[in-house]
This record gives sequence, structure tokens and C-alpha cells, in this order.
Amino acid sequence: MGGFGHYLASHFDTLRLEFWSLFVGGVANGFLYGMVAVGYTLVYGVLRLINFAHSEIFMSGGFAGYFVMKALIGTSVPSGFATVYLIVIGIVVGGLVGAIVATILERVAYRPLRRRNAPKLAYLISAIGASYFLFNMAGKEFGRYSISMPQPYINHPVFKIFGAPVQLYYIVILIAGVIMFLGLDRIVAKTKLGRSIRAVAQDAETASLMGVNIDRTIAMTFIVGGALGGAAGFLFGLGTGVVYTMGFTPALKAFTAAVLGGIGNLRGAMIGGLLLGVVESLSVVFVQAAYIDVVAFGILVAVLLFRPTGILGERLGRAA
Amino acid sequence: MKLRLNKTVAAVASSALLLMAVPAVGIASASGAASKPSYTIGYEGPLSGGNQQLGLNMVFAVQLAINQANASGKLPFTLKLKTYDDQGDPTISPTQAQAAVANKSLVAIVGPAFSGATAAAEPYYKAAHIATVSPSATRVTLATSGWNNFFRVVADDGVQGPADANYLVKKLGKTSVYVVNDGTSYGSGVASAFAAQATTDGAKVSTATVPGTTQCQNGSASSTEYSAAATQAVASGASSLFYGGYYCDLGLFLGALQSAGFTGAIMSDDGALSPALIQGTTPASAANGVYLTCACASSTNKTFNSQYQALSHFSAANATYAPESYDATNAIINAMKSLKKITRAGIVTALHKLSMKGMTKVIKFQSNGNISGSAIYVNQVKNGKIVQLGLE
Repeated sequence: MGGFGHYLASHFDTLRLEFWSLFVGGVANGFLYGMVAVGYTLVYGVLRLINFAHSEIFMSGGFAGYFVMKALIGTSVPSGFATVYLIVIGIVVGGLVGAIVATILERVAYRPLRRRNAPKLAYLISAIGASYFLFNMAGKEFGRYSISMPQPYINHPVFKIFGAPVQLYYIVILIAGVIMFLGLDRIVAKTKLGRSIRAVAQDAETASLMGVNIDRTIAMTFIVGGALGGAAGFLFGLGTGVVYTMGFTPALKAFTAAVLGGIGNLRGAMIGGLLLGVVESLSVVFVQAAYIDVVAFGILVAVLLFRPTGILGERLGRAA
Repeated sequence: MKLRLNKTVAAVASSALLLMAVPAVGIASASGAASKPSYTIGYEGPLSGGNQQLGLNMVFAVQLAINQANASGKLPFTLKLKTYDDQGDPTISPTQAQAAVANKSLVAIVGPAFSGATAAAEPYYKAAHIATVSPSATRVTLATSGWNNFFRVVADDGVQGPADANYLVKKLGKTSVYVVNDGTSYGSGVASAFAAQATTDGAKVSTATVPGTTQCQNGSASSTEYSAAATQAVASGASSLFYGGYYCDLGLFLGALQSAGFTGAIMSDDGALSPALIQGTTPASAANGVYLTCACASSTNKTFNSQYQALSHFSAANATYAPESYDATNAIINAMKSLKKITRAGIVTALHKLSMKGMTKVIKFQSNGNISGSAIYVNQVKNGKIVQLGLE
């Protein structure tokens, strides 16, 4: 009996450890999903358009970060202040390139359609076309194989939560994610840009009558969303390396997160991302890792069945 | 006029040179050719199309073995090479086989290179009693189709998984293995063969399927699954991990395993044996220590490597199946040497009796044409480089 009790206790320990390890990994993934999801949600808010080329903004940020890391790190192993500096540079460059690609995308793939009052379907096709163009271009230029990202640190467990080690990589994502979420939330809630984004989201025509420059607002929305997507691409690449198809599933998951939280809803996108990351990771306690995607999209269908507008509802204009 | 004169002078000078040089060579080869009969060894494999490089890897090794045998002066005959390009395609292979059969001086074939092409060509070779020694056809059923003229110097697909299990459990002494497969028919095939043998060897085995991702070419899952899969591998408490699948996804998994704190031995198969594995693993150090096995050998023989490169103008180090092709050709040559009268059927019989020390392994065939003994090579990643440790 004592033996069985001991077995149960030790098994419980394993389960507890596994649970918290999965939880930590899930939160990190969730932050990444959230960063990409806000890009979808912002653009949807102002344009009522799903920017399916957002996955390639993510990929561009990943590659930009890779080239910067490769140039700055080479074969050395940075530590201390150099680590912080490199990560910040990587995020900034990833974000910058993401914003540039997003701007080009808006100018080339969307604005001409908007000028001609094209049907929504044309935007969708244009987005998918731009996406295929970009990732095949990346495959052609950078090779169609996975490339390891030079590391700005030696990844190691920094501390433990209930026995589960928390890696430095996860802490980097966590800090970057919290800063980005809070910053974005403030921008949309408090600044003039934020007001115009909300105004255009609520009613574009009236906003323009009130003196809001719609073209500029839409362009800025793409820049903000693109910057977060690009930065997320760098952070993702830091953990798994970069490849021309790296944007596909993370962006699809992020889109799911955005819909889950309520498309067009900024806080909803963040919460949806975190929720999706944690739930799909924890699902591994019950089912094999092979079922992760089944669980993720199962959740999406289930939420939409009972709450079609997502957890927080569709309301970029009103919320935040 | 001046130009013409120069040309004439040049012509005279060069013909004088020829007169000096040619007779010496000419007499030697003429006397040899007069007494020695000439035979042709054929090569069937892909020499054009998408798999051309693989065929080129092989054909230069075959040519090298033939050149060396001719130059040794010990042969009672001279050898020639004739190539038959099947593009690795089972629909082209029978035509090439028929052409080879029709060539009266052809006595044996190195190849065919691909399993499908072999299966399609073998009936024609069998009818003509032509021995075929393949350096690379690994389909299991090729040896059990009743072709007594079929030989291969490479281990078949069924050998690798069990051999890997024996190595990990018996040689490295790992008592528990977490067996992961990538969900492809190749990866799950190797992994289940591994798991069965590891269980027989007395190890505690747990299995998981972690499907390939969109980050790589052959998958549809998302790479975020790897952190969860790695956590499970650690939670299983296994002291080793076997991965059945390809290098790209293994690279992603290795990063996650290191991150999750997995410290056991990690082994994978020839699908993962590629420098691209190290290139694609983040951080790159996570690939260090990983065992990679293959039925193929990489040549560490310096003489072979330099002679091969002189002939092919590319490095032997990355020429997959070149060492096996060299062994296959030498197996045929040795079989021919053992015969008083060289016939196609005689070579088949002689190959069944053959035992020689090849470059990759001892070349001795089982009655079904498969190679005897251990024929799986184990490699290990050391400091970012794949190093061949030897036969398992």
C-alpha cells in the first residue's frame, strides 16, 4: 500500500512537472500568436479585410533578424549586456523590416484595389497572391531549407515554476510581448493615431468628414501591425530558426487567435493568442503532440459555435 | 605564308612527338589486346534527369575500379565500362536492360541503382543469366523475388531499424527509449522496426508520433508542437530517444529537446543524415552528440578519395553510394578472376561463392543476394560535423 502511495505521489510529481512545463511553453507560444494576431485584427478593424499576406511579414521579420544576428554574432557567444543589446536590435530590425514589407504590401496589393472600389473577394485573392509571391521569392533567394539562427545567448533555465524550468528564451518572449502589448494598447487608446484608427474602424466615411486622413491612417495601421508581426518573426526564429515557409502555420494560428478573441478587437487578439497557446500546449497532457492542431482548431470551431463574435466580441472602434 | 609555314612546322613537330610516344604505348597495348579477351561491365542507373548526380556518383567509382583493375596488369582480360541510363525510372529500365542483354561482350551489371528500376529490369537480366550487383537498391522484396542473379552490397530497408536498436540498447547500454516518428511511411516504418527490436532487446519503450511541420518540406503540422513533444519526452524519463524521420524536422525537435532539458542519447536514421541537419538546428549546439545511421558508407580512404576526385572532378566525401559502387564493381571483377572460362552464368555462380574484403565492408552474399553481416554505418555529430564512427 505504501509502495502504491509512493508510486502515485511520484507519478503526480511527474504530471505536475509536465503540466507546468507545458504551461510555460504554451504561454511563450501564446505571446507569439498574440503579437501576430494583433496585426490581423488591426487591419481587419480599419479595412474589414483579412491580410493573408501577414504570414510573410512575419517571415520577413524572421529573416531580417537572422541576417542581423549572423552579421553581429558570427561565431562568438555573447552574454550580459551584449545579449540584451542584440535582442533589442533583432526585435527592432525585425519590426522595421516587417513594417516596410507591410507598407509595400498595402501600397501594391491593397491601395489600388481600394481606389477602384474592388469587391472584398479581390482583396482576398490579392492577399493570397502576394503571400505566394513573397514566400516563393524568399525560398528562391534564401534557399528552401531551414537555417539555424545564431544565438545571442546560451539558452538555459533561469528559474523554476513549481519545478518546471523556465528558459531564458521564454523570458525574452515574455518581456518583449508584455512591452509590445502594453505599448500598443496605449497607442490605440491614448494617441492621435490611435484615435484615428478607432475612428476609421467605426465609420471610415464619417471619420474622413471629420478630417481624419484615411490613407495615412490605413498605412499607419499596416506599419504598426507589420512591426509587431516582424518582431514576432524574429522572436520565433530565435527559437526554431528561419525558413521561407516559417510564416504559414504560426500566422494561421494567430488568425485563429484573432477570431477567437473577437476579430477587430485588440485585447481580444492578445487574450485569444495566449489562450490558444496555453490550451493547445496543455492538451498534450491528455493527447499526443500529433493532436495539437486538431485541438487548436477544435477550440476555434467550438467557440465560434457558441459565440460567433469571439470571446471579447468584434469592436476595435469601441474597445481599448 | 609565314602562318602556313608555322603550321607546317607545328604539324611536323607534333607528328614527330607522336612517332616517339605512340609506338611505345601502342606496342604494349597491342600485344596485350592480342592475347587478352575484352569484356564489358555495364552500369545501369540514372545518368540524366533529377537523380543524375546519384548516378554520376556511382559511375565514376565503377570507372575507377575498372581502371585500377586494367592498370594492375594482373588480369587475364581487359575490362570496359558501358553505361545504361534508366533515369531511375521503372518504365525506362526494361528497355535499358534489354539493350544490355543484347550487348554480347557484356558480362555483368553494377546496378540498377533504384529499387523500382531494379524490380522492372531484373526479369530480363535473369533470363540472360546476367549478374546484377546493386550499390543502392534497398527495397526488401528485391531479395525475395526469386532472382538468383540479384546481389546488393548495401543493407536493405528492413535492417536499419533493428540494427539501430541493437546499437542503442546493447552497445550504448540504454535501458529506456522514447521512440518518435514523423508520421511519414518512411519515418514510422523505421521507428516501428526500431521499437520492436528495442523491446526484444529488453529496453523500456514508449512511442509518440510528432508529425512533420510546414517549416519543412514534408509536413502539415505547426512547429510549436515540438516544445510540447520535448516536454513529454523529458517527462517519460527515458534515457535515450530515437527519431524516425528526416533532418529538417529533427533539427527543430533537437532545439526543443535541448530547451526542455533532455540529456539522453539521441539517434536517428539516414533520412536525417545530412549536413543540413546541423545547418537547420537552432541552437546549432543542440545537434552535437546525435547518432545518425545509414546503410551507406562515406569514404575515409584517402587514396580512393584522391583518385576518385581526379576522375570525377568532385569530392568523394559527399558522393553517396560511390564507395558501394566501387565495392560492387570489384566484387564482379573478383568473381571474374576466379573463373577459368568467363561466362555470364559463371559470374553469377562465382558471386554466390565470393568472399572479399571490400572498402565499405566484407563482401559476402547470402543465398538471396543480400549482403552478409552488419552493414549499417553509425555516424555522430561532433562539434558541428558529422563523423563516421564505423559499422554498428
